[in-house]
Amino acid sequence: MTQKDIILETHNLTRYFGGLAAVDDVSIQIERNTLHAIIGPNGAGKTTLFNLISGVLKPTSGNVVYKGQDLTKLPVHRMIHMGLGRSFQITNIFPNLSAFENVRLAAQSMRGDNFKILRDPSKIEGCDDRSWDVLKQVGLFEKAMVPGRFLSHGDQRKLELGMILAPDPELLLLDEPTAGMAGEEVPELIDLIRAVQAQGSKTVLLVEHNMNVVMENADVITVMNHGKVLAEGKPAEIANNQEVQTAYLGGLYEIDVA
Amino acid sequence: MNKNKSFLSRNKGILIFLAVMLVLPFIIGLFEGSNPVAVWNNQGTFSKHLEGIGIEIFILAIFALSYDLLFGVTGMMSFGHTMFFAVAAYTTGIALKSFGLPLWQVLLIIVGTSIVQAFLFSIVLPRVKGVTFTMVTLGMASMFHIIVMSSDMIKWTGADVGLQGVPKPAFIDPTIERLRFYVVALLILVLVYIFYKRFIDSPTGRVCVSIRENESRAKMLGYNTTIFKVVVMLIASFTASIAGVLHTLYQPIVSPTIADLGYTVTGLLIVLIGGIATQSGAIVGAFVIKLLDLALRGIMKDSAPLVTGVVYVIFVLFVPYGIVGSLKLGGFKIKQGWQMLLERFGLKKAMPKEE
Ligand SMILES: Nc1ncnc2c1ncn2[C@@H]1O[C@H](COP(=O)(O)OP(=O)(O)O)[C@@H](O)[C@H]1O
Ligand SMILES: [Mg+2]
Repeated sequence: MTQKDIILETHNLTRYFGGLAAVDDVSIQIERNTLHAIIGPNGAGKTTLFNLISGVLKPTSGNVVYKGQDLTKLPVHRMIHMGLGRSFQITNIFPNLSAFENVRLAAQSMRGDNFKILRDPSKIEGCDDRSWDVLKQVGLFEKAMVPGRFLSHGDQRKLELGMILAPDPELLLLDEPTAGMAGEEVPELIDLIRAVQAQGSKTVLLVEHNMNVVMENADVITVMNHGKVLAEGKPAEIANNQEVQTAYLGGLYEIDVA
Repeated sequence: MNKNKSFLSRNKGILIFLAVMLVLPFIIGLFEGSNPVAVWNNQGTFSKHLEGIGIEIFILAIFALSYDLLFGVTGMMSFGHTMFFAVAAYTTGIALKSFGLPLWQVLLIIVGTSIVQAFLFSIVLPRVKGVTFTMVTLGMASMFHIIVMSSDMIKWTGADVGLQGVPKPAFIDPTIERLRFYVVALLILVLVYIFYKRFIDSPTGRVCVSIRENESRAKMLGYNTTIFKVVVMLIASFTASIAGVLHTLYQPIVSPTIADLGYTVTGLLIVLIGGIATQSGAIVGAFVIKLLDLALRGIMKDSAPLVTGVVYVIFVLFVPYGIVGSLKLGGFKIKQGWQMLLERFGLKKAMPKEE
């Protein structure tokens, strides 16, 4: 094997909430051009880990290195400009703006025309076109003019994904993108994520509850429990890992069924 | 969407408004028996009186527009907005009266004071949000009100009596050149309106709207939201200051009530009655408030403020989107409107948490 090309790594990342270590001494490496899944039961610290990586929360100790730069020193609004996009487990959109405008705002921020106070936004080079393309990609083309708050839950999830895709980041952090979606919509969305990752040579860090999805699509899986990394490896290795099996995989399948 | 529309068609409404308001004094003149030449020479009595009311409405509308940009468009609920207006009004009065400065120098100073104030309000922006921002702005404005009212300042501000005897520049003296003043105030209102419309629909303005909707998400999308809020604060501060200058130039006396919370509330009511974040609502609301105030005052004398207060509250309860907002939506949408108002006042989160 050749030297791994690491796009993001965490070093002893730790975050306390009061006395609780939500993320406890986590050191992981994300290889470029892979789909890396993070699994673990509710409360394992997956969302907190994402919050630490994306700068929403500051770590108690440890750091995050992205392409050689320490991310924990950067404000949240710099992240996307470094090629790092993040979606939320709990839908986090602009509720009174149309689906189109939600995506358009995500696309606009990359284009450097943000302070042209007398400009018509539709004249920003490539911005509208990009937004329409993304809406088509996530299947919201027909609902482009519907305000975010009036979209169905599944469509809001698609919009959330669209807002990540629009700026075309290199690394996508997706926190349970299919959470609460109708079962038949899940494979469609996962296929889309897989396609974006493979075609655009992007890296995806994915938190996902659905074990079938993870086992079929992930290149690498990290298992978390109680804020710590329990195991890491290829899907087959994780499935056969005795510790993960006995301690905990059974539980996950139960969550999946529920 | 509004692609490739010409300037004329984009601003049709406000240009019709401009034309109507320009001919109105002459038409009213005809009814009182003054021919257009007499009106032109400021000889009509009733037309001159109505021009005066028009000027007051235009000033209120400019003030309300600037306030709406802050809380209606960007979601920054300031309770100290009248400070921008009052500082400009008093600065203009003192500069003209106590220092005898020419108007152009006064205007330069006003540009300076509006920038300084915008930054003063902005210092707290990245750190405080929601109700705290509201309270901090209220505190700053109250401090200015106290300074204006203090008897130590009587030589400059006239304390509780107000600032009297400000010399008016002859070419725009409202008693002699009333029609000219009226046209100037009208043109400023129309220019501010057109600029605001353009700004709010610019890349910058769209980001401001997204800050109102969900600021933390706007940050995640890559916007340094503090800078956008400072830009909006600068524009709003400068606009309110222009209204303040016009106020001092027009009124025979600058009363300290304009530095009071009550004047900010007047701006708020104008926007609520006209329609939040609609811009034209600020103009419609200013007309309603001023004319209703005059009508009720004529009928009821002293109890008028109480009655108008009750009327406004009932109106906002049943027409939460205001006049222009309801017309655009084609209905009152009371329940949805209440949700929107609660969001604007920071009493409810726009995006309810699930699970
Ligand atoms: N903002 C917070 N304040 C206090 N405790 C928190 C906060 N966010 C998460 N936690 C706690 O940290 C633990 C990990 O939560 P989370 O990262 O959301 O887990 P997961 O995403 O794996 O379900 C949980 O016990 C949760 O209650
Ligand atoms: Mg989570």
